[in-house]
Parts: sequence; structure tokens; C-alpha cells
Amino acid sequence: MDLSPFIAMVYRQVKRWWSARSRVITTIVNPLIWIIFLGLGWGAVFQPGSINSPSIPGIPVNVIAKTIEEYFNRLFGGVDYITFMVSGMAAMTVFMASFLGGISVIWDKQFGYLKETLVAPAPRWLVITGRIVGDSIVNTLQSLIIILLGFAITTRINPIGIPVALVYLFTTSIAFSSLGVIIALKLGSIEGFQMIVNLLTMPLMFMSGVFYPVNTMPDWMKVFAQFNPLSYSVHSVRYWLTGANVGLEYMNPTIDIAILAAAAITLLVVAGWAFNKATVED
Amino acid sequence: MEAVIVENLVKRFKDVVAVNGVSFKIVRGEIFSLLGPNGAGKTTTIHIIATILKPTSGRVLVFGHDVVREADIVRKKIGIVFQDPSLDNQLTAYDNLYVHGRLYGLRGRELEERILELLEFVDLKEYANKQVRYFSGGMKRRLELARGLMSNPEMLVLDEPTIGLDPQSRAKIWDYIRELRRKYNVTILMTTHYMDEAEELADRIAIMDHGRIIAMGTADDLKNMLGSDVIYVKFDREVPEGICKVLPSLRDCRKIGVDTLELLVENATKSLPEVLSNIYVNGYRIVEVSYKRPTLNEVFLHLTGRELRDSLESNPLTQRRGRWR
Ligand SMILES: Nc1ncnc2c1ncn2[C@@H]1O[C@H](COP(=O)(O)OP(=O)(O)OP(=O)(O)O)[C@@H](O)[C@H]1O
Ligand SMILES: [Mg+2]
Repeated sequence: MDLSPFIAMVYRQVKRWWSARSRVITTIVNPLIWIIFLGLGWGAVFQPGSINSPSIPGIPVNVIAKTIEEYFNRLFGGVDYITFMVSGMAAMTVFMASFLGGISVIWDKQFGYLKETLVAPAPRWLVITGRIVGDSIVNTLQSLIIILLGFAITTRINPIGIPVALVYLFTTSIAFSSLGVIIALKLGSIEGFQMIVNLLTMPLMFMSGVFYPVNTMPDWMKVFAQFNPLSYSVHSVRYWLTGANVGLEYMNPTIDIAILAAAAITLLVVAGWAFNKATVED
Repeated sequence: MEAVIVENLVKRFKDVVAVNGVSFKIVRGEIFSLLGPNGAGKTTTIHIIATILKPTSGRVLVFGHDVVREADIVRKKIGIVFQDPSLDNQLTAYDNLYVHGRLYGLRGRELEERILELLEFVDLKEYANKQVRYFSGGMKRRLELARGLMSNPEMLVLDEPTIGLDPQSRAKIWDYIRELRRKYNVTILMTTHYMDEAEELADRIAIMDHGRIIAMGTADDLKNMLGSDVIYVKFDREVPEGICKVLPSLRDCRKIGVDTLELLVENATKSLPEVLSNIYVNGYRIVEVSYKRPTLNEVFLHLTGRELRDSLESNPLTQRRGRWR
């Protein structure tokens, strides 16, 4: 089969991103804000060594502080909160950026470029796959930037785990970029798209274990987390980057990749189908 | 063999019939133009031929291939310049052509040479690595023309190739169109609402209005429908009933609009005195008289009772419509 149309779209998406490098700043500023304020802010709370801990008669204060810190570190999988956050944020960066790809589909509609791709003699599914893969390469690179910035904040990131984590991140991006494309093709307007995406991203994000562990969530939330592909992404990326294994009991890196890949393939197929049905009529 | 055969084409959107039973044929190697006012159905017709819209009924063959059942083959054989801009403004001129070429399966040296050749052809070589968003309207149009030619199509489809351009840029685009036909030996289907453009470029013209083709032929054929001269007489009130009977022998006499009479004659200077005196003798008052050698505008007026120019100016849709919004 001729992969040329696929390469065309990968090239376009990557080149567009590269030509708007300044925008990269905006896409990583958001996760950085979370890391800095939420991470450093709460990080200190979970490390009570520096402040006056409540005293229990007969037990030295520093022992109490140490115990509290150990308790939290155990909750966060053996790492401190900031490390926990940074590793989860790598997954969240990809997650948020994936939906931006959907917005660019709507721009393409409005600026006429979609017609250019619809009239080409290439299989539609191949064109849209190229687009999603191109976006995913970009998103994974952005997430890599966050991981590298993480080295400045925590010493607990394991460089050896990064390449494996990137594979998980890439798969995550394929899944959510496809979802973004599907929503964009079905809605067609920026306003509608943003509304749906806001309604969707916030709950998915909070029920994924990025900010707090999944296993201490209320039971109903755990149920949602189970059906949220982002949970598996957060779990596995955190595992490969820091060794922390914080998730539901059955989660492990093999199950994670299986579920992420299944979600990616399913959503990609639906995106291909939606693009196949796209016309200039609506 | 014909390049395009359109038979009884109908396209209905939710509440409008955009194309209402259109038939025509395009011969290989010719420049064929659809001429008509806004909303005539030109773009819709072209989009169906280019396979991105499905017909409601009727049949369209492009180089013998059905546009619905064999869309992929048709897509390979045509290049298209859309009415609305469709470049990627964030890419360079070179990259726009590169991505297009790849979408059409070109690669390697062949692709690179083709890009440079076409950039040269439309005089944009020195801007190859500039982002398209900095281009003027004329430069963008030329780049789109080059892009349409990338895949070496047998037919090039141009939807309003000079819309929104200043006179110099228009003249330049015309030059390219004439030259590309010579150089690349390609069949051209174009639409326009400029009469001069159709007359200047097209071998044959189909005049379209309200989703129908109302006349078709070379510019001369069309003008000959009206004979050599056409006289317009404007009355101070509605055109009187039976006025045609009292006038001397004419090729044709008909009311167009409320107060205007159109007369077709062999020689206006000779016929005018008699026409005018006959009208006076019958006691009618004339406000205005004019006569012309017919242009396509007179042909359109003759066929529809409206001026092509008027229908453009009075139509608020003259600006581009974003069909996607
Ligand atoms: N996607 C659509 N949905 C509904 N109506 C449409 C659509 N596209 C076109 N129309 C309508 O069909 C008619 C013909 O439109 P079309 O664009 O083919 O005309 P045109 O001759 O190209 O005019 P213009 O000079 O404005 O480009 C118009 O009344 C238009 O409003
Ligand atoms: Mg049009």
C-alpha cells in the first residue's frame, strides 16, 4: 500500500507545530502551573518536617513528622508528592494537547483546507490516521519537555524509564486525539467543541489519579476511573518514570498498555469512519 | 472522447434546489466556462464533478468514470482550485505543494522537481520558503493554481479563479491559464461571474441561472442569438400591451423588466428612426433609448430579464460565503 498520503499528513502536522514554536510555550505553561502551584504547594503539606507537628507526649516531634511523611509517601507509591505530580502531569499534558488537535480540524473546515484533503485520491482513513499520528508525535514531544523540566524539580525521575513511558504516552495520545477528531467532525463549531471538551476533560482528569491516588478514591469514583483510559496512562507513566505503583490492584504495565492500545485502535477506527463520512455539505 | 459528460444533474440541499437538471459535455482540451450570477449553482455543479458532493440524481462521467462509483479514479485525474481559499497559511509555499504532492502519491526527486517547476511557472520561486499567511491575494491564487497542477491532472477545475483580485492580478491569472493550457495540454472547466473573463478565456460558455443552463455555445454563438444590434427602449410607465405589433419588422421584440422593451435588429442606426416615430405616433412617451452590439451581458438580459451585473450588485452574497459555518 502507498503510505505517501499518511506521510503527507504527519509531515504537515509536525511542520505546522514546528513553524509555530512559540505556541509550544503556551501548551507547556499550563502543566507547569499545575506542577508549580499544586505540586509545590501540597508537596510541603505532605512533608511536615519543617513545621510544628502536633506533639504526642513521650514521642519526639521529629519522629511524628517522619511518620507522617512516610505515611504519605506510602500513599503516593513511595515517592514524595511533587514527584507523584510531575509524573502524572506527563500524561495529562498529552491528554490536554490531544484535544487541541480536534480544534485544528475545525479550523481546517473553516479555512477550507479540509476540502483539499477530501478531494485527494487517498484513502480517507489513511489521511486521518496520518493526521492523528502527526499530532501524537507532537504531543509526545511536548510531554517529554515536561518530563525533562521535572528533573529540575525532583531527583526521583528515572531516565532509563523515559523511552518506555513515551511509548505509553504516544498510545494515549492516539486514543484522545482520535476522540478529539471525532467530536470535531461531529460538531463542526469551535464553541460546541470547547463546551463538550470542557465537560469531558475535567472529570476525566480528576478521576485519573493525576492529582491524588486512585486507590484512595471513594468507591463510585473508582468505578469511573476503571473506565477511564487516562487512569491507565497515568498509572503506567508514573510507574516507568518513578517506579511508583499507585493504582487499582489489578493494574500493571502490561494491562495498561493493552487497555490503552485497545482504546487507541477503537477510537482511531471510529475517527476514520467519521472522516470517511465527512462532506462539504454540512 | 469527452472529458466530462453531465446528464440531468440535480442537487437538492435541505430546502433549496441548487442544481436543477443540468446537462452538458466538455470536449478534451477545451476551456469550458460556467457563467452565472451568485447562487446560480456553479460551485455545486463543480463540487459534484470533483466528487466532494454527491448528486441527488443524474449522472456525471469524468473521462468515462462515474463520479460516485469511481470517485478515486476521478480524483486522480483532476486538479482543482476552490472558490474559497484552501491553502495552509501556516506552511510555506513549498510545503503546501509538498503535502499536496504526497497526498497524490508523488515522492522523491520527481516531487521536488515538480514543485520547483510549478513555483517557477507561477513566478513564486523566490517565495518558496515563505509562510503563505504573508502572501497577497494574487500570490495565494497563483500558488493554488500551481497546487492544482501538481499531480499533472488531465483536467483542471477552477472555481472563480480571479474572485476578489485587483485588475492586474486578474490579468496575470488569465495569462497563466492560457499558458498552462498550451504548456500542459490540460482540459479546463472554470466558473466565473465575470463576463469578460468567460469571453476572454473560454472556448465555450454555458450560462447558468437558478440551477439551470439557459444557453450554451461559443461567445459568438451566444451573441449571435441576438443578431447584430439590440435596442432598449424605456417607457415612462409599464410597457404598453401590443406595442410590438405597431413596430416595423424586427428580429425580435420583447418586454424585459417592467418598463423596458428589447428589440433585436440588423442595424440599429437604420431602424431607430422608424421605431421611435412609430412609438410616438401611437402616443407613448419614452424616457430612455439605447442600443448596443450585444455582449454576454445583453445575452443574459435577453434570457432572464435581469442584468448579470445588477444581479451581482444587488446580491448581498457577493462576498465569499463560508460554506462551513
Ligand atoms: N451546503 C449547502 N447547504 C445548503 N444550501 C447550499 C449549500 N451549498 C450551496 N447552497 C445553495 O445552493 C445554491 C447554489 O449555490 P452555489 O454555491 O452552487 O452557487 P454559485 O453559482 O457557485 O454562486 P457563487 O457565485 O455565490 O459562488 C445557493 O442558493 C446556495 O445558497
Ligand atoms: Mg460559487
